Amino acid sequence: MKSLKLLSAAVLGIAISAPAFAAGYPEKPVTVVVPFPAGGASDTTARVTTQKMQESLGQPIVVENKPGANGSLGAGQVAKAKADGYTLIVGSIGVYAINPVLYKSLPYDPTKDFDLLTVAVRTPNVLVANPNFPANNVKELVEHLKKNPEKVTFASSGAGSSDHLTAALFWQKTGTTGVHVPYKGGAPAITDLIGGHADVSFQNLGAVSNHIKAGKLKLLAVTAEKRNPTFSDAPTMKEAGVEGVEVYSWQAVAAPKGLPADVKSKLEQSLISALNSPDVKGKFNDIGFEVVANTSGQFSDFLNQEISRWKTVVETGKITADQ
Amino acid sequence: MSHVLQKKDFWAGVLYIAFGAAAFWIGRDYPMGTAGRMGAGYFPSVLSVILMLIGLLSAARAFRQEGQPVGAIAWKPLALVVGSVALFGLLLPTAGLVVALTVLILTSAFASQYFRLDPKAVAGLILLVAFCTVVFVKALGVPLPLVGSWFGE
Amino acid sequence: METISNLWLGLETALTFWNLTYCMTGVLLGTAIGVLPGLGPTATIAMLLPVTFGLPPVSALIMLAGIYYGAQYGGSTTAILVNLPGESSSVVTALDGYQMARQGKAGKALATAAIGSFFAGTVATVLLAVFAPPLADLALQFGPAEYFSLMVLGLVASVVLAHGSLLHAFGMIILGLILGLIGTDVNSGTTRYTFGFPQIADGINFVVVAMGVFGLGEIIGNLENEATRTAVLKSVTGLMPTREDLKRIAAPILRGTILGSMLGILPGGGAMLASFAAYTLEKKVSRTPEQFGKGAIEGVAGPESANNAGAQTSFIPMLTLGIPSNPVMALMIGAMIMQGIQPGPSVMTEQPVLFWGLIVSMWIGNLFLLVLNLPLIGLWVRMISVPYHFLYPAILVFCAIGVFSLNNATFDVYLMAIFGFLGYIFRKLDCEPAPMLLGFILGPMMEEHLRRAMLISKGDTMVFLGRPISATMLILAFILLATVLAPAVRQKREEAFQEEG
Repeated sequence: MKSLKLLSAAVLGIAISAPAFAAGYPEKPVTVVVPFPAGGASDTTARVTTQKMQESLGQPIVVENKPGANGSLGAGQVAKAKADGYTLIVGSIGVYAINPVLYKSLPYDPTKDFDLLTVAVRTPNVLVANPNFPANNVKELVEHLKKNPEKVTFASSGAGSSDHLTAALFWQKTGTTGVHVPYKGGAPAITDLIGGHADVSFQNLGAVSNHIKAGKLKLLAVTAEKRNPTFSDAPTMKEAGVEGVEVYSWQAVAAPKGLPADVKSKLEQSLISALNSPDVKGKFNDIGFEVVANTSGQFSDFLNQEISRWKTVVETGKITADQ
Repeated sequence: MSHVLQKKDFWAGVLYIAFGAAAFWIGRDYPMGTAGRMGAGYFPSVLSVILMLIGLLSAARAFRQEGQPVGAIAWKPLALVVGSVALFGLLLPTAGLVVALTVLILTSAFASQYFRLDPKAVAGLILLVAFCTVVFVKALGVPLPLVGSWFGE
Repeated sequence: METISNLWLGLETALTFWNLTYCMTGVLLGTAIGVLPGLGPTATIAMLLPVTFGLPPVSALIMLAGIYYGAQYGGSTTAILVNLPGESSSVVTALDGYQMARQGKAGKALATAAIGSFFAGTVATVLLAVFAPPLADLALQFGPAEYFSLMVLGLVASVVLAHGSLLHAFGMIILGLILGLIGTDVNSGTTRYTFGFPQIADGINFVVVAMGVFGLGEIIGNLENEATRTAVLKSVTGLMPTREDLKRIAAPILRGTILGSMLGILPGGGAMLASFAAYTLEKKVSRTPEQFGKGAIEGVAGPESANNAGAQTSFIPMLTLGIPSNPVMALMIGAMIMQGIQPGPSVMTEQPVLFWGLIVSMWIGNLFLLVLNLPLIGLWVRMISVPYHFLYPAILVFCAIGVFSLNNATFDVYLMAIFGFLGYIFRKLDCEPAPMLLGFILGPMMEEHLRRAMLISKGDTMVFLGRPISATMLILAFILLATVLAPAVRQKREEAFQEEG
């Protein structure tokens, strides 16, 4: 019932929103744009985080879904919005780091148009296979790939998705090749993997953990720095002998460039404390997300690293998604 | 027998050919690929050629067979209904929901020969705008600006 | 035995006061939203998602599910009354339902839809309870090759939707297929036919096309002959189906239920085909196929039952595998995740209260729908006897707001206006929009599955004939095509004879 009240407060808030704005940020409801449909990872991140932030900011936060063009539609709109702290964006690795290296014309530049606030959460990708697939570990997979070049099918959640690029990175690091089979989102890719219509895939841990537990998918490795406590048997890529395939899918918060300093610091504080609160952390852990909650400076350095890494992968693999 | 240029089949054929040719022309640069690895252009090319063929058949039928005439186009309702919806899209972000709805309702209503701007119609208009405001904006939280950028900020 | 104890557990859960309240709220809300043209369950559930955060998971899902099938039902009401299909499934209902309404038989059409839906919902719930796990495994047998063949079958079937010229049916299907290509190509990431507009990089939303071509097109068409339309609606006869009507619809409802239940299980868009398939089947088995498209009651009964059965069984892959079969299910999964429940095979064993509570609540919700809607029929019928010049501006308002709410974008409103223009032109040229809409829905999926199947088989076309399920469907498609074309060919020959004689 509490959230119903919040919702109605949010709604009433929009109706009476005053144009004037002054020192006491925030004075009116804050809009968080999610450039993907409701129910996805970015949406979940935004909703769980903002629910907590409303308490410290004392104003309702409205999540608005603006899906389209791999998130670049919504991101482009936020880039052009007023930098007053009343419009934020919660986007994925794709929005910040992959779209910029993949698409020639984007309506935004993440390093120039945004005030980066924090990387909220991350989740490692895992290398999973259909249980009947002959290889049982990364070493066997690499051998199998070398013996059968261009034969093994790698399902991904779309051309230019983070799991597609992870597969490309894996091929480059191991000197192998495979057939990339893109799907419309992660769910159908996982379905075909379980059904045995595709062989292997890099997927977000959260999306496949239940299938691994049920024995419907075989876990070969995690692309994290450390082993996952839930699946402690599965080695990291490095342990399995493949260097340089540490890949996380992450969700981060930003605002249009040029926030007033006080607004920026207030938002940062509110975000970091919300993300670190035990109930929010617990909620994210339940779905396989790890809270990062770094500072805006750390986010900026991290983003530059990610962009340059994926740029290399895209150029080496001659990956195009825009013609 | 009506003239070919009046027949439905003829114009439907023209429509198909126009769509097919446009799709073919725009899609000419999409990579074709091979049957095993079809490119983005494979499906569009095949489909647009088929559509053009169907268009030819339809137009040819108009020459060979008796057919119904298209009849007069109802320009007034067509322009007013389509125009009122476009106006709504234009006015929503700038003038806000209340104005946009009023314009949409009034413009479209004038397409009807029975419509008179009497007290009953005005009452209906106010009721409808109020209903939309309460249901969509307040209850469901659709992000529709009640007052647009022309009046605020 | 286990099933009974499970159902008992579900009954206990679903019948608690609060859960009943949420179920009823969901169904009511869903119906109301479904009735408003343009505002579909996807947009509504997305908007109401935050409201459910505060509820216990079972109650949240019960309410969301209620909205879903309530909206499906409400959508049919609008399709019948004003020829505005807000969901792909109600396109078919509009074909004969609206014709019935124009003949003054709106009440009968609505009652048929309600009864058919309730029966289908009941059967599908039982199926869900008894066979969920094995059925889910069956769904996994469907790979790209099978889906492609299913789409081919669906496309051939859509020819039957048209009651006019066969040539135009094919033309409109192809046109729909091409329109469906607009957007980003799943296989390569290339954007096609977007004219540089990022707003359509993910394709044009179905609702935009349907509202434009059907809704706006219908309104302009009606205004053209304003005097005749008003006269047609004056005579309203019999709100409820007669005993004879019931006899006529019994078999279609049963066939629709079976077909819908089976297609609903397939996560790759099977449920969408349910109502189309049922319509085709009814028209094929009917002794009076020429009445279809002119107000045949079977054309409402079959598809409506199939649609509702499919809506129920589409929960099977979601609950047992964690696989969403449509955008609404994806949102339900989002809701579960938000509640800390990871959807997947373990939900049934780890969350039996949730699983069985939800299933039983669906049946109760269907009962609510029946009880709620039968008395409402009189009200609906009176509503369409409101003078048309008051009714249509209101319809336009709801279309415009509904279409805007899809992506919160005015761009979609403009697109709807363009499709309204096209819709009127199609009407003038006797090009029926229903086959085009089906092509529009199936086109992208068909291409996606075809290219994926070819990619996986390394370009071997035999994959479609070598796999039994796929081969069966292709053969069925071929037979259907032959029966569709045969009468046309024969007719041609007869015409030729007559001309000579």
